[in-house]
Amino acid sequence: MCKIIYHNKYGLYNLGNEHPFSPQRAEMLIELLQELKVFKEPLQPSAVNPEQLKLIHDKDYVNIVENVSAGNEQGQAEKYNLGTADNPIVKGMAEGARYQVGGTLHGVQLLMENKANKVITFGGGFHHAHKNSAAGFCVYNDLAVAIKEMTNQGMHVAYLDIDVHHGDGVQELFYDDDKVMTISIHESGEFLFPGTGWIYELGRGSGRSLKLNIPLEPFSEGDSYLLAIDKVVKPALAWFRPDALIVQAGADAHFSDPLADILLTTYDYEKLFKEIISIAQNSCNNKMLFTFGGGYSPTATPRVWALLYFILSNIEIPKYLPKKWKNKWEKILNMKFPDTLHDALPAYDEIPRKQEIINTNKDTIRRLMDSVSQHWL
Amino acid sequence: MLIREIMHKNPITIPPETPLFEAYKIMQKKNIRHLPVLENGKLIGIVTDRDLRLATSQLAEKPFKPEDIVKKIMSSPVQTTAPSDPIEIATKIMRELKISSLPVLENEKLVGIITGADLLDAMLKLTGVHRPSGRLDVELSNRSGELAHLTNIIANHKINIHSILTYPEEDNKIRVVLRINTMEIKTLAKEICGSGFVVIWPPHISCAK
Repeated sequence: MCKIIYHNKYGLYNLGNEHPFSPQRAEMLIELLQELKVFKEPLQPSAVNPEQLKLIHDKDYVNIVENVSAGNEQGQAEKYNLGTADNPIVKGMAEGARYQVGGTLHGVQLLMENKANKVITFGGGFHHAHKNSAAGFCVYNDLAVAIKEMTNQGMHVAYLDIDVHHGDGVQELFYDDDKVMTISIHESGEFLFPGTGWIYELGRGSGRSLKLNIPLEPFSEGDSYLLAIDKVVKPALAWFRPDALIVQAGADAHFSDPLADILLTTYDYEKLFKEIISIAQNSCNNKMLFTFGGGYSPTATPRVWALLYFILSNIEIPKYLPKKWKNKWEKILNMKFPDTLHDALPAYDEIPRKQEIINTNKDTIRRLMDSVSQHWL
Repeated sequence: MLIREIMHKNPITIPPETPLFEAYKIMQKKNIRHLPVLENGKLIGIVTDRDLRLATSQLAEKPFKPEDIVKKIMSSPVQTTAPSDPIEIATKIMRELKISSLPVLENEKLVGIITGADLLDAMLKLTGVHRPSGRLDVELSNRSGELAHLTNIIANHKINIHSILTYPEEDNKIRVVLRINTMEIKTLAKEICGSGFVVIWPPHISCAK
């Protein structure tokens, strides 16, 4: 069975009503699952203390984040990319972030202690947070803290990032680590934040050829994501055979996402999640942890994560959205939901450059495999 | 960007009496392709690995021997540049004369050398991504104040600009590619578009009123 991790205090990481990274996403998901009568009481993690964050982050950086979050003036905040449009300073955000780090950490502890094979935390996924800088809505890197905890125990860990943005923070923090494989599938950095995640970023030193990036063309569709899973993720993990798989399951590659340009439908997500779980079962010691991440379309993100929950829990996917839930959130958001949990098809207009995009993505995948497969012997 | 910022300081040099085999050995050992030739502290020539290979090739009409001295085959006089030159001037000279390096002279003294590879590195630096950022691609009219107007909008959103790249387009337009520190680029792009700019990337945005 799948263990759920969540704490009300995750919601303290609230960057403001205008900010797209909203705790409302978890709230909507939980209500949806409750309405569908499938919600299980989550395990409540404790927050990590600032000391534990120093596994990954610089002391000075942690001190500044804690300070500004407590409402103290800090002249140096901007140096750490705090107080910017993407990373505004909000009271209590450090505590909220520490609860979410605690959630991800609790998840990997369950895996390590053999108390669970499948875990999902209804938060976390802060893949852009760096050693000494906030970035892209992220402050503390929960994924890196959890991965570090595992490698400190001697485990080999694979990290898969399906968020539409490159998982730059996690990649950089383990760039020369031979115990950690990172794989990120994302929209090409030529256009999208953070601008990195090219196929030639392969790791350094003994970490070489353990860091993989699959940058896809804007307006890529589900087939390209699934091809990347089949041609890269599957053989990579079959070779690396990690002790566990950590998945950053950002939902912002959905076609309706306002921040990016990839065109996955919920049907693609269903296939993607099933494929990832099957790979984790076969190649990753059957141990997996899923976190949230990006996902800025309020009408799509809760549905995508609900699908993940159903698939992880082996519950049959319901056809319709509960009317009560739908009506309530349509009113609050002033947006229209489909009647069904899945997208209404056709989801979007035919893409004129469809074949060209597919071919470019195939070339990218081929070039990546040409440069790494010789190392996987 | 100036030559002094990208040049290799204190380049390896040889005297004019150096035998060809010796020059070849130095290039192999130091993994370089260009050797400035100095006589009494003055730059009098330059020899490249290609010069050596062509001069000693069995296919040449009268091949030089390994023991011949570089003075016989070096290029002279040498095209040079100054540390204060902008890199685009050096690039232009190298392209026009079809040469692959330029020694750097200051007060007639050799102080450095740049090669085509250094200019490629410079291009990477100018166009590359050094901080997490997203792409904003805007077309400007070629008149004063346009860029200031654009960057003002970005500043008002408290968004940091990491790099700006511009190039001329047809119809007296200027393309400006900015790398800016935000994930939420479309909200900003709508406002920029609403202020009368043509936004090329992100695509398909509806302009704010």
